[in-house]
Amino acid sequence: MTENLQVSSRISKLKEKVLTQPRYASIEQALIITESYKDNEDKSRILQRALALKSALCRIKINADPTELVVGNRTAGVRYGVVFPESGSTWVDREFETLPTRPQDKFLVNAQDINTFREVIKPYWAGKSMEDIIQMDYGTEITEIEKVVKINQKDHAQGHICPNSTEWLTKGPSGLAEEAKIHLQATQDTEQIDFYQSVIEVMEGAQIFMLRYYDLLMSFIHKEADNKKKEEIRKVAKICKALSSRPASTFHEAVQSVWFLFVILHMESNASSFSPGRMDQFLYPYYQHDIENKSMNDAQALEIIESLWLKFNEIVYMRNAKSAKYFAGFPIGFNIALGGINDQGDAENELTFLFLKAQEHLGLPQPNLSVRLHKNTSERLLKESIRVVAKGSGMPQFFNDEAVIPALIELGISPHDATDYAIVGCVELTTQGNNLGWSDAAMFNMNKALEVTLTGGIDLLTGERIASDYGDLTRYETFAQLETAFSRQLDEYMDKMILACEHVEKAHMELVPTPFLSAVIDDCMSKGMDVTRGGAHYNLSGIQMIQVANLADSLAAIKQLVYDEKRITKEELLAALKHNFEGYEVIRSLLMNKVPKYGNDVDWVDQLGVKWANYFKHRLSTFTNYRGGRYHTGMYTVSAHVPMGENVGASADGRFAGSPLADGGMSPAYGRDIAGPTAVLKSVSKLDKNLTTNGGLLNMKFLPKFFASEKGVDTFGRFLRAFVDLEIPHIQFNVVNKEDLIAAQADPDSYRSLTIRVAGYTAYFTELADELQSEIIARTSYGDV
Amino acid sequence: MSENKGLIFDLRRFSTHDGTGIRTTVFMKGCPLACVWCQNPEGISPIQRPVQFPNKCIRCDHCLHKSKYGGVSLVNDRIKLDPTVAEKWDEIVYDCPTNALVMDSRWMSVEEVMSEIRKDIPFYTYGGGMTISGGEPLNQSDFVLELLMACKKEGIATAIETSMQTSTENLMKVLPFLDLIYADVKIIDPIQHLKSVGATNQLILKNLDILLHSEFRAKVIIRTPMIPGYTDSIANIAAIATLISSCYPSVRYELLNFNPLAKSKYLLLDKDYCFPDDPGLFSTEDMAKFAAVARANGVMNVIIDS
Repeated sequence: MTENLQVSSRISKLKEKVLTQPRYASIEQALIITESYKDNEDKSRILQRALALKSALCRIKINADPTELVVGNRTAGVRYGVVFPESGSTWVDREFETLPTRPQDKFLVNAQDINTFREVIKPYWAGKSMEDIIQMDYGTEITEIEKVVKINQKDHAQGHICPNSTEWLTKGPSGLAEEAKIHLQATQDTEQIDFYQSVIEVMEGAQIFMLRYYDLLMSFIHKEADNKKKEEIRKVAKICKALSSRPASTFHEAVQSVWFLFVILHMESNASSFSPGRMDQFLYPYYQHDIENKSMNDAQALEIIESLWLKFNEIVYMRNAKSAKYFAGFPIGFNIALGGINDQGDAENELTFLFLKAQEHLGLPQPNLSVRLHKNTSERLLKESIRVVAKGSGMPQFFNDEAVIPALIELGISPHDATDYAIVGCVELTTQGNNLGWSDAAMFNMNKALEVTLTGGIDLLTGERIASDYGDLTRYETFAQLETAFSRQLDEYMDKMILACEHVEKAHMELVPTPFLSAVIDDCMSKGMDVTRGGAHYNLSGIQMIQVANLADSLAAIKQLVYDEKRITKEELLAALKHNFEGYEVIRSLLMNKVPKYGNDVDWVDQLGVKWANYFKHRLSTFTNYRGGRYHTGMYTVSAHVPMGENVGASADGRFAGSPLADGGMSPAYGRDIAGPTAVLKSVSKLDKNLTTNGGLLNMKFLPKFFASEKGVDTFGRFLRAFVDLEIPHIQFNVVNKEDLIAAQADPDSYRSLTIRVAGYTAYFTELADELQSEIIARTSYGDV
Repeated sequence: MSENKGLIFDLRRFSTHDGTGIRTTVFMKGCPLACVWCQNPEGISPIQRPVQFPNKCIRCDHCLHKSKYGGVSLVNDRIKLDPTVAEKWDEIVYDCPTNALVMDSRWMSVEEVMSEIRKDIPFYTYGGGMTISGGEPLNQSDFVLELLMACKKEGIATAIETSMQTSTENLMKVLPFLDLIYADVKIIDPIQHLKSVGATNQLILKNLDILLHSEFRAKVIIRTPMIPGYTDSIANIAAIATLISSCYPSVRYELLNFNPLAKSKYLLLDKDYCFPDDPGLFSTEDMAKFAAVARANGVMNVIIDS
């Protein structure tokens, strides 16, 4: 039982250290990579990448705290932002000076690093980085559509992947290198030869990396007087050494091994969101073994888990300023899926509860903890999860096996793999260990597409033509005509989006292959093919539909007030939108107050959202991506509802120009859901579960008061049981007082560890830009129930 | 008005206070009592009327132009409403773009109410259902009976909150269709009752006696709201506890903490509230003390809602 386990003083001290260390931009790995490329210019790209990674593994400065039970990081400092020239350095050149002062995701900078960067790194990579090549090759086309379609993954390697951790744990770098050697002997194909050779190089690098930690830790022993502490350090050192040459055998070894895996994945790709997936499942045999032979108790297991939890908070991903707005507050996405079913039935175990306990103890943004609910989830797991939610870190978030598994099967995933699904990043669904899901290929702003449908292709914010003229509001005799024009705008942007996605994928294939990752993704090793070339068993691409709530509200308002009741003329509405409602208060009030809104369980309104999401999904599913896999849809925004809202002029739902869209992805626009939380769930449940195979996000905010009594916890449990029955794929909760958030905004220093659910992930509230903070404060909350 | 319609001033989904689980509460308009502390003062009058939210007004003056008989006028450059004037209020309200003017209640058919109640059936699966509240729901007892029967027919659990200020016949006819009956006993002293509640408690005590001797008594929870200076005296609690436990020793008795949120509603209605200054909630200790009084006077099942 986990109830009485406490946080150890070791963990408390290490946590304080993680929270207080300054965050720097680092060019160290960039220098190593650049040097390695210069030495290997005659080699194929995959070998260049492998040798650059190996060189970093051998040379990058490493550090550890002598009290750590789990060691390793990709830089000597904690939470450093790594400059990564292969994928993108032009933006770094452009933004280096502003990193310490930009509104979102600030980094400190050593002045001399800027010079070194400009003298050594930039000249070598100019015109060669993936970012530059995509820009030269297809930049104009991508920019042309950017107000409607934001194409992602242009300046960094692909993340959002759940590696096959079991494969890594049971083989280790030495086993994987051996496997590659066997394959290498059996092939004459030059591409395969380079692939296997690359795997061998990076696995050797991984072994050396582990041994360097052994050496580092052993060097601490001489400085340590206390014999007990010496033994502790020696134990961790020996684990590092053992893992370099053999698979993990104990729980402690397995946890350290998993952490090495993720550090190296980050060093290879510098991408967002490599997620462990169902860690309570794949670590359980190690836990069970150690508990049964009494070599470890639950308190010790928890301390090891909490050590890993702290490590998950030591890696952040430095994005360019624009991207940081879309993905604010470092959603690095160490997503862990707890509970759920397996082929035999309910899969929860004691580790499930220890992981929850670690979250309850630490309350940090990482890992991103996700609980998989299903019809037979135990009351214990349900209630424990709710109690942890009530603590306020916004975690765990909840996924629904009853919605997700059938939808994945329908997408073409095998029943076994669908049952074993996990989550990457925020809310993106994936199979485990065999999938390059490319889940953030693009975000499609359906509200901007509606805007150009109303204006005949003119951007309301600039007055410029940005899209084709298929008519404007004044020329549509009927609502059906308006809808036809809307579908044509959607079609045209989708076609352009697909071409752009193909160019981006091609650039990844040619420029940033990832042999280390490929070694832990099923089928790459047997095919001798990198993940970027389509080596993985599954090759999906995910497009996000932004935002169905505003779209449904706008269409409902136009349908009812302009076409059905004729209370507003077409000309008046268009003029009101053009003038951002200035001088049109009555029209805006009618739009806001006299038409029901999505999220209130009013069927005809909700169905308008459902209709267009279905339209988009069906058309998208007719395309095949560059790796030969399927496109599918998601409904989540991370923090993109703020910048994407900035792109959209005044809208017929009464929203002012430039203000945020609905948050989440499936959530109602804030303040518009006035019929309570059950109505929200009902509205959301009308969205077909197949619309969100790439992930859906429903965000709700409750006041802590709701959870204050056992009755509140009990009611919440019933609410979640109904959520499962309604087959909604996802729900997450923010449980923080508005007053606390306002206080934190005014006095950030006193609220450094206050975490808040942003959208699919948790971030430190005080590290979010002001406008995003205000936006979160403004969200609806339910409390007095 | 239509025979099969009920006047409803609120229909609230996700109610979690009264009854088990997640419930939908139907608030019936009109009450024969007028407790000075009433939490829902907008539910006392049995008449449908317009109500004004001045802070939503953008002075489009649609209402002013639409008003024919002086129900809407301009006083000190602000819209002034006289709801007692006979106007086509439905039309005036329809024309208000901001909902600064709304009707305070709706006439709804049983089927209309049922279609709202059905929406949350997925949630009732885990122990919820419908609650009828008010006002005094049995003021519209025919409608309420029909609604309860409709729920029972569809397997939806039912609860009621009643003041018992209604004919015994009214009370008895709905009991077979209820799974849970919250019945208020506020003040035992008849004079105090008359002063604070607006009627003597003769009828209430008679109904109480019948209820607690009926076959439905196991479904009953007697309630007393703890209102500072009105109902919270030891003598009052002791007398109520003695009375109800003598009728039915296993009676369930719930003490409700004071709800200080009602004041804003009185402002809206332009009425005086019995507490100009917020007296605050009773502490957990206070509530425990009240419960101890009830137990000492014979009640075995005391519930505290703080």
